[in-house]
Amino acid sequence: MTSGKRLFFLVILLVLVLYVMRVTAFSRVEATPLEKTLVDVFATLEQVTTGLGRGIRDVVTFPLSLVNASRRAEELSDKVARLEGELQQAREYRLENERLKKLLDFKSGPAADSGLEVTAAAVIGRDPGNWFSTITINKGRAQGIKENMTVLTPRGLVGRVIATTDHTATVLLITDPRSAVSALVQDSRTPGMVEGTAGSAGSLRMIHIPNDMPTRPGQVVVTSGTKSIFTKGIPIGEITRVKRDPTGLFFEASVRPFVDFNRLEEVLVITGVHPPAL
Amino acid sequence: MLGLLVLPGFLLLALLLQVTVVDLIHVKGVVPDLTFLLVVFYAFLRGQREGAFWGFVAGLMKDFITGNYFGLNALSTAVAGYLVGWSETRFYKDSSLVVMVLTFFATMVSQLIYYLLLVYLQIKIPPGVALVGVVLPSAMYNALLVPLFYRKFYRLYLKGWFKVGQF
Repeated sequence: MTSGKRLFFLVILLVLVLYVMRVTAFSRVEATPLEKTLVDVFATLEQVTTGLGRGIRDVVTFPLSLVNASRRAEELSDKVARLEGELQQAREYRLENERLKKLLDFKSGPAADSGLEVTAAAVIGRDPGNWFSTITINKGRAQGIKENMTVLTPRGLVGRVIATTDHTATVLLITDPRSAVSALVQDSRTPGMVEGTAGSAGSLRMIHIPNDMPTRPGQVVVTSGTKSIFTKGIPIGEITRVKRDPTGLFFEASVRPFVDFNRLEEVLVITGVHPPAL
Repeated sequence: MLGLLVLPGFLLLALLLQVTVVDLIHVKGVVPDLTFLLVVFYAFLRGQREGAFWGFVAGLMKDFITGNYFGLNALSTAVAGYLVGWSETRFYKDSSLVVMVLTFFATMVSQLIYYLLLVYLQIKIPPGVALVGVVLPSAMYNALLVPLFYRKFYRLYLKGWFKVGQF
């Protein structure tokens, strides 16, 4: 092939790839049946390898810790995580209840069950790179999982479902730079948008915080639910730093998520919401 | 004929490990890229054409697993394979140190191209965060893993494992 022909071929290839990249962008509606089948087959392999990997990790780390102490600590830390999640949720309901009581003279009382219908799923795979943050879970359309369903753990918000096959689903984590969650500062009800920063770094930032709303480190951020696909009132994280954004019109805050995204093993997918009766 | 399947087989295995267990060895959220290491090793031993080709194939496999932006990894890895392939006739093959340096720079270039393609796809990541949070650490992590794998790969290559897999 002459160098002219080769260059022509390369340019055509480049244009084609750039076009396909756009067409297969994040927002495309449906994967092809072949893709879905191959993903399901690969998912079985992923499940086995993930299990083996975790098994090996457990074997390697086992002698390094005192057996009972380690187990007990793990149980306690799970318990603390669960209770923390419940506490945040309870606080959210209490505040909501107080507001409603004050405004509409509704009866006060303990918050009823959260009214969320959830399905548990195991994490079987992750995005192979360092830029995006997605996980693959072992439940799909056959188990009632659909696009845009909210995914969480007892600690807080994880992300949302962006693609499904019959037996797997891909979840976009809130730390992904493509993710944006409509949020509120829990106690002051200050609105904002929580975005992922970069890849797997696991940090978040809350942007578009109005200038006149006081916000400070230590405050808890929850999902707002307003015009959002995320269920309302799920804890997201804690504000660690607040500064003025480059335009000077808003504040932006660094948010440390409650969920440890590097140690996600099981998640819950919200498949239905039944708001508690008031 | 079997040799034709060795490199794709290795790439598939590396990809499987990449999406399942590699996350267990993350450092500050950054993981090494096993398929990329294979491409660098093969390109260093086989030259530009094969480096670019197998870089493209390996990247496409990764794009497929990601499920979006087909060509994003393919392009960035193909360029890295091509550049590493340039060094095929210029350096001694049995030095892990040389491959470490090559891997570091190849990852940097590949990740910077990836970043530019993200800009093209209108995915906003501040340049400072991209450089300090992803590009540099992943280049360092990939380079640090070279001594663990390169000599073994080179030995298999000398034994003729990849012989029929010529492009």
